[in-house]
Amino acid sequence: MKFSEEEVPNWKCEACGEALVMREIEFAYMKGSFHVELPACPKCNLVLITEELAMGKMAEAEKALEDK
Amino acid sequence: MSEQEYTRWMTESLCPTCLTRVPAERVVEGQDVWLVKVCPEHGETRTIMWRGTPDLPGWQRPKIPSRPPVCYTEPNRGCPYDCGLCTNHGQHTCSALLEITQRCNMNCPVCFADSGSVAVPDSTLDAIGKWLASVRHACGDHIVIQLSGGEPTVREDLPDIIRLARSYGFGFVQINTNGLRLAEDPAYAWQLREAGLSSVFLQFDGTRDAIYQKLRGRDMMAEKIRAIDHCLQNHLGVVLVPTLVPGINQQDIGAILRFGMDRAPGIRGVHFQPISYFGRFPEIPDNAQRLTLPEIIRAIEKQTDGLMKIEDFAPPGCEHSHCSFHGNFVLLENGAVTAMTSKNSSCCSKPVVASEGAGKSTQFLTRQWAAPEDVTSAAPLPPSKKTCCEPSQSPSLDEFLQRVKTHTFAVSGMAFQDVWNVDLERTRNCCIHVVTPEGKLVPFCLYNLTSAGGQTLHRGHGHANLAS
Repeated sequence: MKFSEEEVPNWKCEACGEALVMREIEFAYMKGSFHVELPACPKCNLVLITEELAMGKMAEAEKALEDK
Repeated sequence: MSEQEYTRWMTESLCPTCLTRVPAERVVEGQDVWLVKVCPEHGETRTIMWRGTPDLPGWQRPKIPSRPPVCYTEPNRGCPYDCGLCTNHGQHTCSALLEITQRCNMNCPVCFADSGSVAVPDSTLDAIGKWLASVRHACGDHIVIQLSGGEPTVREDLPDIIRLARSYGFGFVQINTNGLRLAEDPAYAWQLREAGLSSVFLQFDGTRDAIYQKLRGRDMMAEKIRAIDHCLQNHLGVVLVPTLVPGINQQDIGAILRFGMDRAPGIRGVHFQPISYFGRFPEIPDNAQRLTLPEIIRAIEKQTDGLMKIEDFAPPGCEHSHCSFHGNFVLLENGAVTAMTSKNSSCCSKPVVASEGAGKSTQFLTRQWAAPEDVTSAAPLPPSKKTCCEPSQSPSLDEFLQRVKTHTFAVSGMAFQDVWNVDLERTRNCCIHVVTPEGKLVPFCLYNLTSAGGQTLHRGHGHANLAS
């Protein structure tokens, strides 16, 4: 699933009914941390992570942080 | 103590006087661990092997031994006399070291190879070709080839030797050098690079000439810097290799790391080697003249003001746990350092197959120790779109991934063993092997090991013939 930033407000949080907004989200895994701009619910702060991001760059970062 | 616990602390070693194999015990006294052994003829020897935290009992990465796929000798009199490797060996080769000359352009008071003391003709290209064929047959061509000596750059045909190694399919060729020749001439680094050299393991004992005066008998800092500049200009990866000697340069550990990080990503990391007493050394050492791995790890934390911490370092996945430590760090654009290694992450109790660790280690080293991906050719990062007032302290995911590729800085330390502290459990699981003149493979420490009286175990012997 892929969508553009312009489409983000068209997405609604199922629990709160609020339109999603782009937010800077901080991720921490093992000893590393980094931030990503992601669609999030302004009310409950639930974040939408696309499969592309999870299986792509985030998996890459995870692999890099795991011990060699 | 249960029998299992007791056995864990038992091993075998050698008598420093006669090189006879003797039982040995790792004795824990407080936070220190001693290797204690008794030769029926020459008595007891006690040598410090581990001082303080992180504690040795917790410093484990258990492995299921992996017999090398090709062994050139069969066990006869047992370890360490039948090396070649023999079928009792427990780990595959990750680095094969070829001594291409015994000559050296220095005459250091300390030298593991005792180079330059005896005039020995250089090996011919034909002989080196046979060694390479032998290594490839035993280990494949994915391993690290280290060209060493002596000082390999004294050979005018070094570029031909590098080309020869590459022609046998070895993808990663490294030289161990004092850097003098590289400092003399920028074109020389280019020649080596063109020939197919990947990386330079540079003797780098400190950041001050006073250290070189004591350890090498002369000023060297200006030459070291020139050698590094020439390597980096020619896209050769550089790893700084300090020999650490108590009372001489252990206070310079932090300065060495900062020197390296300031020149990253060209400088790929620092590989500390506490002094071992084999080959040429001034006198038989007492325990105060020994530096153990945990002392170096603690010094790193202290001397980098906590930029690198004790818990950022882990035991090795390839060689025996007691032989080394390593920690990898990503140097971020804002000057922050992110640790990538965690002792806890690698220290699970489940043993792994040793050869898998060797494979991973080789993959990592060949990537890490070579020059980094061209930083300027990396894709530009998308502009950061801050949505709040406070700037984030962490990098963006894109920056992090890019810096991992280009700015990973590897810090490691390896404790070589001499006749006083040699532990045959460690040498049996060694992955760094010297190629003998006959084309066999012998663990680095055993090849270089000399008795208190200077007698060698393997160097200069067709076969070890001691203690028979």
